[in-house]
Formats: sequence, C-alpha cells, structure tokens
Amino acid sequence: MKNILRLVVAFAAALLLVQQGYAQGTVQGQAIDENGEALIGATILLVGSSRGTATDFDGNYVLENIPAGEQQLRASYTGYGDLTKTITVKDGETVTLDFQLGEDAEVLEEVVVIGYGSVRKEDATGVVAKIDDKNFNRGAIVSPEQLLTGKVAGVQIAPGDGSPGGGSAIRIRGGTSINASNEPLFVIDGMPIDNEGFAGGRNPLNFLNPSDIESFTVLKDASATAIYGSRGANGVIIITTKKGQAGSRPRVNYDGYYTVNEIRGEPAMLDADNFRDVVTFFAPSRLNALGNNNTNWFDEMLRQAQGQNHSLSVSGGGQDFGYRISAGYQQLEGIILGSETERASFSLNYNHRFFDDKLKINTNLRGARTRDVFDPGLGAAWDFDPTQPALDPDNEAFGGFFSYGNSLAPRNPVSAAEQRIDQGQSFRTIGNMEVEYSLGDIVEGLSVKTNLGFDVNQGDRNTFEPTTYTNTQVANFNGLVKIENYTRTNYLFDAYLNYDKSLNDRNNLKLTLGYSYQDFYEQYPLFEGQNLSTDQFGINGPAQAEDVFPSNSVFENRLISFWGRAIYNFDERYVLTATLRRDGSTRFGPESRWGLFPSAAVAWRVLQEDWAGSLNNIFSDLKLRVSYGITGNQDIGDYRYLPQYAFSDQRARYQIGTDADGNPIFVNTARPNAYDPGLQWEETASLNVGLEFGFANGRINGALEYYTQNTDQLLFEVNVPAGTNLSDRVLTNIGELQNQGVELTLNANLLKTSDMSWDLTGNIAYNRNEVLGLSNIAGDAGILRGGIAGGVGNNVQILRVGQAVDAFYVYEHILNDDGTPVSDEDDLMMYVDQNGDGQINELDRRIFQNPAPDILYGLTSNFQFKGFDLAMTIRGAVGNYVYNNNASNRGYYQRVQGVNIGNDQFFLNNVHESVLETQFVAPQYFSDYYVEDASFMRLDNVTLGYTLLPKRAISSLRFYVTGQNLLVFTKYSGLDPEVGVGGIDNAPFPRPIGFIFGASLGL
Amino acid sequence: MKKIINIGLIAVLAMMSACTDLDVQPRNDLTPDVFFSDDAAYERFLTRIYAGLAVTGQQGPAGNADIKSLDEGFSSYLRQCWQLQELPTDEAIIAWNDDGLPDLVTQGWSSTNQFVRAMYYRVFFQVSLANEFLRESTPEKLDARGVSKEVVDQMATYRAEARFMRALSYWHGIDFFGDIPFYTEDQVIGSTAPTQLSRREVFNFIVNELNEIESDMLEAGTAPYGRADKGALWMLQAKLYLNGEVYTGGETYWNEAVEACNKIIESGAYTLMDEYHHNFLADNDRSTEIIWSVNFDGDATQTFGGTTYLVHAAIGGAMNAEDYGVNNGWGGLRTLPSLVDRFPDETGNIDERAIFFTEGQTKAVEAINEFTNGYTVPKYQNVTSEGVAGSDPTFADTDYPMFRFGEVHLTYAEAVLRGASNGDLGTAVAYINALRQRAYNNDAGNISEADLNLDFILDERSRELYWEGVRRTDLIRFGQFTENGTWAWKGNVQEGRTTSPHLNLYPIPAEELLANDNLEQNQGY
Repeated sequence: MKNILRLVVAFAAALLLVQQGYAQGTVQGQAIDENGEALIGATILLVGSSRGTATDFDGNYVLENIPAGEQQLRASYTGYGDLTKTITVKDGETVTLDFQLGEDAEVLEEVVVIGYGSVRKEDATGVVAKIDDKNFNRGAIVSPEQLLTGKVAGVQIAPGDGSPGGGSAIRIRGGTSINASNEPLFVIDGMPIDNEGFAGGRNPLNFLNPSDIESFTVLKDASATAIYGSRGANGVIIITTKKGQAGSRPRVNYDGYYTVNEIRGEPAMLDADNFRDVVTFFAPSRLNALGNNNTNWFDEMLRQAQGQNHSLSVSGGGQDFGYRISAGYQQLEGIILGSETERASFSLNYNHRFFDDKLKINTNLRGARTRDVFDPGLGAAWDFDPTQPALDPDNEAFGGFFSYGNSLAPRNPVSAAEQRIDQGQSFRTIGNMEVEYSLGDIVEGLSVKTNLGFDVNQGDRNTFEPTTYTNTQVANFNGLVKIENYTRTNYLFDAYLNYDKSLNDRNNLKLTLGYSYQDFYEQYPLFEGQNLSTDQFGINGPAQAEDVFPSNSVFENRLISFWGRAIYNFDERYVLTATLRRDGSTRFGPESRWGLFPSAAVAWRVLQEDWAGSLNNIFSDLKLRVSYGITGNQDIGDYRYLPQYAFSDQRARYQIGTDADGNPIFVNTARPNAYDPGLQWEETASLNVGLEFGFANGRINGALEYYTQNTDQLLFEVNVPAGTNLSDRVLTNIGELQNQGVELTLNANLLKTSDMSWDLTGNIAYNRNEVLGLSNIAGDAGILRGGIAGGVGNNVQILRVGQAVDAFYVYEHILNDDGTPVSDEDDLMMYVDQNGDGQINELDRRIFQNPAPDILYGLTSNFQFKGFDLAMTIRGAVGNYVYNNNASNRGYYQRVQGVNIGNDQFFLNNVHESVLETQFVAPQYFSDYYVEDASFMRLDNVTLGYTLLPKRAISSLRFYVTGQNLLVFTKYSGLDPEVGVGGIDNAPFPRPIGFIFGASLGL
Repeated sequence: MKKIINIGLIAVLAMMSACTDLDVQPRNDLTPDVFFSDDAAYERFLTRIYAGLAVTGQQGPAGNADIKSLDEGFSSYLRQCWQLQELPTDEAIIAWNDDGLPDLVTQGWSSTNQFVRAMYYRVFFQVSLANEFLRESTPEKLDARGVSKEVVDQMATYRAEARFMRALSYWHGIDFFGDIPFYTEDQVIGSTAPTQLSRREVFNFIVNELNEIESDMLEAGTAPYGRADKGALWMLQAKLYLNGEVYTGGETYWNEAVEACNKIIESGAYTLMDEYHHNFLADNDRSTEIIWSVNFDGDATQTFGGTTYLVHAAIGGAMNAEDYGVNNGWGGLRTLPSLVDRFPDETGNIDERAIFFTEGQTKAVEAINEFTNGYTVPKYQNVTSEGVAGSDPTFADTDYPMFRFGEVHLTYAEAVLRGASNGDLGTAVAYINALRQRAYNNDAGNISEADLNLDFILDERSRELYWEGVRRTDLIRFGQFTENGTWAWKGNVQEGRTTSPHLNLYPIPAEELLANDNLEQNQGY
C-alpha cells in the first residue's frame, strides 16, 4: 500500500514537473475582414486542443500559455472562411499573429435543409423558406411555432387563444383538407414527430425550448414535400436545433427575462348599473332576482400575469467533435386567474467525426417536463349577473361562493377558478442518432446514413372538484376526481444511401435511396371517481370515491416507406429534381394502403447562361423554377377501414330480464361501427412556378411564387344513403378542394456600415380556396358547419361547391337609415326575403364572406447602431371575416327575462353592449350583422437592446426590453380579430399585451 | 458455414417481412372474428338493437355516438319519436329555441329540420343493425364459428326478434315519412343506394314479416323483461292494421285489428293496473299493463333522451324538482288548453288521468317560449309508486311504456266502431268503461253504447294516451292533424289555424336526398 502511495506521489510530481517545465509563450493579434474592419467575436483556436478565445470589439485577441514550438492557430467567423496559420512560439515571449478572413465562398453558398438531406441554395428547386434565429419573433414565447408567426409568406400561424403556451393552428398555403388534419408535418433534426393535441398540456410542441432552435425551414411546394409522401400535403416544417461546432472554444450563454402581461381592451358587457337599468326597463318583474353588488366579473377573473425564463447553454468542441448542452426553465402565468405554464428542459448534442471524417455520428437528446394549470375560461364571466357577488361567506354548501345551485345557470367563474384543481404535466423526451459512413473507397461519392430515433411523451391530467363545487352539486354527486394518464411513443428507423458524383465539369448527379419505418403508439388509461367521502385528499383521493368509472384506449399506427430522389445539375444552369415515395399506412385497408407520391421540378439559373452578360449588371441572382408533384394526407383516426364492434360502457348497458331475486340484468351491448373498406389517401396535386431574384449585389433579394393545389379524394365524413352503412355518416373519400395563390418575399439590406446596419424582410401572400366538388352535392345544396354557442345545432357556415371552405351562411339584415340593423318582431321586417316566398326560413340564407384571409403579410425590421439594436415585427391579414358569437349569443334583451329554475327562482344573464345599438329582443343568430371584417395589422413585437463592450472573460453582455402585442389596428368590434382558423369568436382566452425585461450574457 | 448462411438468410427474410408489416389490429374495439368467437356476442348484439331505442351511443350518458349528423343528446330514438308525435299536436308545447324546435310546435318544419333528420336516421340505423345481425347469425356462419348448441337453439327466436325490431322501425318509417328507401340483409354494407318503395309496399312487407316470425317469437308475457314477445308482435299488428287505411291509401283492416287485440286479451298475460299513474313511475317495470317497454336505469342506462327527457323537460316554474325524483327541471314541456279541456276538471279529482301542475302556470299559452304559459304535465316521474326517488337524480329509472294494454281496449273499440265484423259494440263499451272506471274510481264516468262514436274515441284516446307518443298518428287517422282541427299555435298563430295536408308526412331530410339519387321528396316540400 505504501508502495502504491509512493508511486502515485512520484507520478504526480513528475506530471507537475512536466507541466511546469514546459516552455510556453503568448500569441496575440487581430482578426480583420477584407476591408480591414475588425471582426468582433471571431474564434481563435489552438489546433489540436480545446483551447481558444474570441476577439474583442477591436478584433484583438490574446492567447497565453501556448506551448513553445511550431503551433497552428485557426481563426473562424460566421460567414467567413476558416483560416489556419502556423507560427513558432518561443518560451516566455509574445508573438503577433494577425488574421485577415475572406468571405467564405462555401458559406456564402448557403445550404438549405430539405427532407433527408440538404442542398446548396442554388440547387433548390422547390419552395423552401429558411428562418434563422436572428429573425425569430421576440417575446415571452412558450411555443416554438410562434417564433415564426408572420415571418414566412403564406404561412398562417393562428394562435387559438392567449393562454400561456396555448397551441396554434398552422396553415401553409391554406388548408388542403376538411376532415383530415390541416396541420403541417414537424420534423425535428430528421425525426418526424407526433404533433397531436393531448390532455396533459396546451401544446405538444412546448417541450422544445425556443432558445435551442437554430432555424426553421418551411417546405411549401410538392417538390419539397413529396419526399414526405403521405404526410406532405400540408407542408413540412423542419426544425434544426443548435449543435456544437468542432474546433470552437467552449462558450457559455445565459439568457434570462422577466415578463409582465395584461389584458388588452375590455369585453363589452354591461356593468351593474346599466344592467339594472335594462332589467328595470325590460323585465321589471325580475328586479327581485337581482343582487345588491357591483361586480365586474372580468376584473374578478383577470390579473396582471408575471413570468420568468432562464436558458443556459454550454457549447464547444475539439478537433473532431462538437457538443452543446443546455438547460432551460420557464414559468408563465396566464392573465386568467389560475392559468399557468411551466417548463424545465434540457438538451444535449454531441457529434463526432472518425476516420478522417469518413464516419460521422450526431446524437441529440432533449427532454422537458411541462406543467400546465388550466383555467375555467371566461365564458361564465361573460354571462354572470353583475349584481351578484363572487363571494357569499354564509353559503357553506358551496364553499362560501355565490351560486345559483342549478345546472342551467352559469357557474360562478371565481369559484371555478378557486375551487377546482385542473392541471396536467407531461414528460417528453426525443432522442436520435444519425450515423453517416462514407463508402467512397468502394464507389466514389457513395455514403450510407441511418437515423434511429424515439419520441416518448408521458404524462397526466388531474381534475378535482370538491363536494362544495356547484358543478358537482347540481349534477348531484358530491365531488369528483379524475386522473387521466397517457403515453404516446413513436420510434423511427431511417436508412438511406447517398450518391454524389460530378460526372464531368458540367454534370453533377446526386442520388438518394431510402427506407423508413415509423410506429406510433398511444395509450390513455382514465380513472374517474364521483361522490367523495372527503375533500381532504384533493386529486389524491380516488379511494374516497363511491362511484368509479375507469377506461382505457389504445391506438397504434405505422408508416413504412421507400423513397428516392435524384438531383441532376447541368452546367450550373439547369437543376432537375425528381422524387418518388411509396408509403404504406396501417390506416387503410390492404387494397389501398400503399400509395405512390411522385414529384418533379426544374430550376433554371438564368445568370449562368453565356448570353446573360448584360443581365448580370442588374441582377445578382435570377432563378426560374417550376415544380409539380402529388402529396398525401393520412391524418385520420385509426382503423376506420375495419369492421369493428364497440362495446357499451357501464353507463350505456341495457336491461334484459331479471335474475332469480327479481333484480334487473344489464347487458353490455355491442354495436358494429360504420366503416368504409375502400378508404384511401387524400391526394394533393400541386403546381408551383417561382422566380428568385437578387439585385444590388444580393442586398435586395426575394422570390415570387404562384401555386395551385388541388386536393382530390378528400377524406370527408359525409352522409351516406340511409341504411347502407351502420351510421348516418361515414368517413370516405369524396370531394375536391382547391387552393390558389401568389406569394412575394423580399429581403433588403438597406444599410451596412461598420457602425450601422438595417435589414428589412417582408412577405405578402394571397390565397383563395374553393370547394370544387362534394360527392354528388351540387348547386345550392351544401353541408352546414360552424356550430355556434346559442341553441343546440345552430350552424352559421356551409360547405358548398364553388365557394370557399366554411363560408358564412346567414340572413341579409335590413339596415336602418343610420346603418344599424332593424329590430322587429316580424322576421320579414328584419331580413331580406331572398326567394320572395313571404317567409323567412333557411332558404333565405345566403353566402356572405368566409373566415380565411385573402391576404397575409408580415414585415420584420432589424436595425443596429453601435451597441444598440432595434427589432420589430408587424403582421396582418386582409379579408378574414369573423362571426362575433360573443355578441350574437349575448346581445339581446330576452336575457334579462331570466330563466326559471323551479321553486319560483330565477337567474338572469348579462347582456352584450351591442344590444344598445341593435335593440334586439330575441337572439338573431343568423344575422349577417355579426359577420364582421376582421382585417387587422398588429405590431407583434418590438425589441430594443444594448450590447456592452466585451471585457475580460465576458464576450458579450446584452440588455433588452421587448413589447409584445403592442398595437392592433382593426375594425373588428370584438376583443381580438384573430380567433383561430374557424372564424367564430367564442370568448377565447384574451391575448395579453406584454413587456419583457431581459439580459443575455456570453462567456 | 452453409448453416450460418441459411440462418442469415432466414433472418434477413424475417426482417424484410417485418419491414413491411402493416397489419395493426385495433385494441379498444373488436374485429368481427374476435367478437363472434364468444357465444355471448349474439345476445350483446341483439340487445344493442333493443337499446337502440333508448341510448344514443356506446358511452352513457353521451359519447361514441350512433348518429353523427347532429347533437348526440338530440339523436335519441325515443325522444325524437315522441317529439314528432306530440309537439305538432294539441297535447304538447315546448319552450326551447333550438334550431327547428319551435317549427315542430307550429308545423313549420322543412327538409333541413334537425329533429326530423334525427328520427329518419334513427329509423335506418335500427334497420341497419337488424340487417347486420341477420347477416351475422345465419346457420352457415354459426356452423363455421362452431357456436354452442345452446346459442344455436335460441337463434330462431333471436332472428325473429331482430326482424320484429326492423318491422317496428319500418313502421315508424312509413308512418312519419311515407315512401321510404327499403333494403334487407340481402344487401351488404357499403352497397349502392337502395330504391324507394311506396308506403303501401313497405306496409305489406311489415305485415308479411310479422306473420312469418310469429311462431318463432316467445309466448306473450314470457319474454325476459325488455325483449319483445308475441304480445308485442300482436300489438304492433293491431296498430298497423288500425292505420292500414292511411298507409295503403284506402284498404281497411278492421277485422285484422280486432283479431290482434283479441289475441292479446285472450292470452291473459296483461291486466290493467289499479292506479293509472303507476304505469309512468320509476317502478313501472312491475306494471302488469305494459306489454313491452323501452328500459332505462339511472345508473346502468343513462341518456339525455327517453324518460330522462320526459321527466326533466316537464319541470319548471314553481315545481319542486325533488318532488319528481330529479335534481332540476329543464323548463321545456307543457300542454295546451285543448288537452286540459278534454277532462271534466283539471285537478284530477274526477278523472285521475288528468295529471297537471297549475300553480304559477297560466292555462293559455301566449308565448311558446314562456314556460309558465300552459299547464305542466308531470305524468312521467322518477319516483316509485311508494314515493321513493329513483337511483339517480339526473337519469331516470322510469321505463317507457312502448305498448300498453290500455290502448288495446281503445283499439278494439275503434276497429269495431269503424266496421270490424269479428267484434261487438257491447264488448267495446265494456273495454272503454274498464278504463274509465279505473280513472274515476267509480262508475260515474261510464258510457253507454249510444255515447260511443268516433269523436268520443279520439278524445278518449287523448285522455288515456296523452303524452304517450301516439297523438299525431291518431289525428291523421281521424283527418284532424292538418286541414281540419285547430289548437293553439298550430300554423304559428296563438289561436291556431288549419295547415296544408302535405304536413301529414314529414319531409325526407335534405342530406338524404343529396346522398341517395333514387329518392323523391314528399309532395309539398
């Protein structure tokens, strides 16, 4: 033992001696560009080690303790080529080594990510838009897709509401489907993910920390998306995350902010005094049903919401490897009482090159715990009588809250927020490993790549309602506890061969051939218990429940694909791309489960032509593209092609006979479900013609696109001839839909000096959709859609051939001279009798506008002056109409007549202020008065930042303040003109106005 | 070495087949192969056909809906059958403003009315279920599946009951809609659109079906509770024959109607209850008078249709919901003066069948949507005859008396009065008086042969059978539904007015006309 100890000491001493005795020197110098301007933050690395530094504001650097002898230093800077220089370092001396970096030809040849690979931007033949982090939206952003809002032409990201971390509906070039999903496919680092909503959280994408994202690439036309075959019809959004760079020194970045949010505007309901006046005038007999309070229910339910966010990352690399580790924490309150979202996340990237870069391995692992606390919504606050109090301390049966104690009456929203527990959490982990091996030794230009990945999302949602809660009281069970669990997994295996060969000076061929296997599995066990013996256990008290209702649902689907792509480049003038994918899906029957999705595209780089000489004086880039392809949509439920028997649950049994004791025997029944054995893919054929251009040395560039997309075999749940199937409606392939549009994107670098720069990016898109066919439904017939609040079964939209999807279908309201709608007991005085039959009925409804915007636009400005930066995003829409359901469902005087709840008790509902203009007595759900032009322009975010000069170890320190949702210009009378893609405004969670104060630190 | 290569080849082949394996089987529901491997399948399936009149989907009270064209709660077979039979008549009115509901009250419906649509699709959902059952229970299939002898022995009865249920729905189909699409188990799922048969042709089909299956049905009064037996079959025959003149456009079947009534009476399986009201309470499964019921249970059979609807919707105003065994009222259903005036007094003291709640309610109905206009009718209640509340305060235990013995008395009398040669007036009067004696608790209300005429029968049917889903058919048979007869809000005016005779039939829903080219809309729509 003693010997060993002695040995260790001796070894350590020897090591120290070596270290101390090692001859060392210092290297210093400056990094400049071609014009002699200093490069700030350039990386200077000692080759063969992980040691390095970054240049300061004057481009200077110092590297100490460099081993004496001949050493190689490498300088690198984004957008410039790496430069490696050799220098002899002498012991104890300082030597000077300057770097002048040239703009890197290879870097300038921007690479864009496409499905299963990447191409030079020049070679891209499809419509591919890349947005990187410098153009992301700023603000307190929970969901990654919101980084992209307003940034890409023809991409509508419609937030469902303003809840913290709420999901969005995303439409790329309009919706291609009606019953199947219209959401694009998300691919994170090569891994297509499951993006369906889930009970445990507000948005499945929230697991991804926005600060881990390097760029989004939106694939829009069939040439780009057909490689994803059956999932490409709605476009594809590829998310590339930040990675560690080989050969860069360790960098540490921290970003943190604090945010505060408030409601913008105020819902237009009557206050207590006005409400009393209306009741006095209109229903004096109900005055005794009023309370004595002046309650503003919105004030009771809304608050100033605060939040915080912290992100920390460390990245760097050695000669052959790169790494990046990050951790994040975000916690945001919503402005409605009780709402909150929280995320704790980590990510890990490691990449390594072996055997002279022949073998490349890249691994990603990321995970997050998200926790959402759900609010009861504002619905009841819109309805509740403002003369009633929120609290009623004597009312112990209802926990001290005011309550009508009746199932028809609105619930006290404050009690819903305070008494209920409704929260979910999810743990989601995504990991993948990409291995690429060059077979260049065997066949020049050949390589093989595999991608192995998994996506696991597990979590729960728990609801607890105490025995004193109105909901449970009126349903006559005492207390409720509900525990919903879910597991959603998908695993992926991709393997493909790449072949990249220049046949000669003028011919280059790239081939890719692959196979893909992806399996999705979902499971939803659920436990619900009613009638609790005590409230004391909260959500942990299922054992206290007298009545229990368990259930479980399991789904699985699988997608197996073979695909290939050829890119042929002739003389840098013509680029031809062809792709073919064969997809097999378990969602369709054996006869129709395999589908073929081809595409072809050609690009012509005009400036490369010999005769283009003079054009070169005007243009820096000119490329004409044409593409055509077929993509599919399979995003429907599972097993819809199979005959199946569904069993009844315990509450839908049926009594057949009695047992020996005279007790009823209940049978769990079985029902054959409707099905269409011939169900098949929805197919979208798209044509795109595009022109890319650049002027003034590329300082102004852009693209103009025209497209048309025809979706055929529309998957549609449609009425079948009665009796021919086992339900009235069956999901089947019927109908045809078209989207047509034009898009323009412009990027301008308006100003670029050493002190100042200004970049402006704008996009504008026009889209029109039309239903071309619906089964054998023709002429004026159609399918009513767009259910509203108010009555049961009232619809205000229609699908009709020749019209836009979900066009509003309403009566034409006759207006008074002052422009207000006529209010009269006789419908004939109020509405235009379109068919002149002397009565107003459904035949008098007509098409009036539709919810899809005609034009979407966005403008991003990035301005920088010395240490200051100012960024902002403006975006808007034109021609999107909204049905103001808040007003139509609440803007009539009958609401103060009250509802009789037995025992001579009444409750009254508050009235929407629009009644003061309309004077409607009864509801006019189908009046076109409520269909409003909701065109808008929104100042989405403005950020002002200041970056301090680097000092010592600190390479950057920036402070910033951001305003979110600062201004909205619109004629729409409701709270917010953006109400989701459906076009019906139904008291969503209001979108707050917010301010963020933050700081970023880089080491 | 060769062995290793072989193993390698097998492994590669195995991987290849795994690589393209797209057979993923459902786990929540069963494919037919799995389902029918259990002999209990046939009872589960047949029970679902019966349950089709009660539930709206496979989850109670709502969920996994059968019918998708409209709100599930509205899609209940019984609820719509009841509404279409009662709301346009002189017996009932409803306050709610749901799209198309006031139109049922005022006879102002059109082919897009969602309640008419619900009834239509319910009829054919039942027909589809029965057809599928008949396809899946053929001797060949049972043989191939190796079904046990016990089940095979019952199958003739099961199949007869499935055909009975199909006949029942086809009867509703022709009663509401006239000429309707027609198909049987001979067409397969997803087949081309069926053609339309005339009301008369479908009527003849039902008549033949009932005759064919009679011998396979269980004896009257012996079927397990909830299943139909010969008693139910005869009652359906009686109702069919009584209205045969309407359905065939002129041919009468009075003798057949009387014959069916006689079979029921002579079976001895049914007797009138002493207390009229006990037929409509939570323990009416003990009624000796109900020939066949649609069953509900507060715990096991939950739905927003059926008796849950009939109990809740009739409660509001000054009524105390707890008195009727439920937790609240829905403030919807009331009655019209025309029904109230048919009784000697509104208190029920003289004729106990007059079950009205009048406190805080006006007799006249000035506004359809004002619940306190019109007396309410707590005929259906979720309390037992002993006053005990049902098992659940939201969902009623009360079963719905689809066929009740009391109606047999009235049917016999009417058929005799209209010309049946196999009955006699004296018996008819005795049958009527049996009902009236029970109602009056003495013979003060008894009638003589001289009092018995068709007008009396129509009124007496209303007094005995009001709110039991027969009124529209009765009024049509007596020519009083549209072009004759007025009552409050008929024709959308408070005093009432006559309406166009095309309203004797409901329109075929617009959705169906679009889906099936073979169909012609009823005249006038």
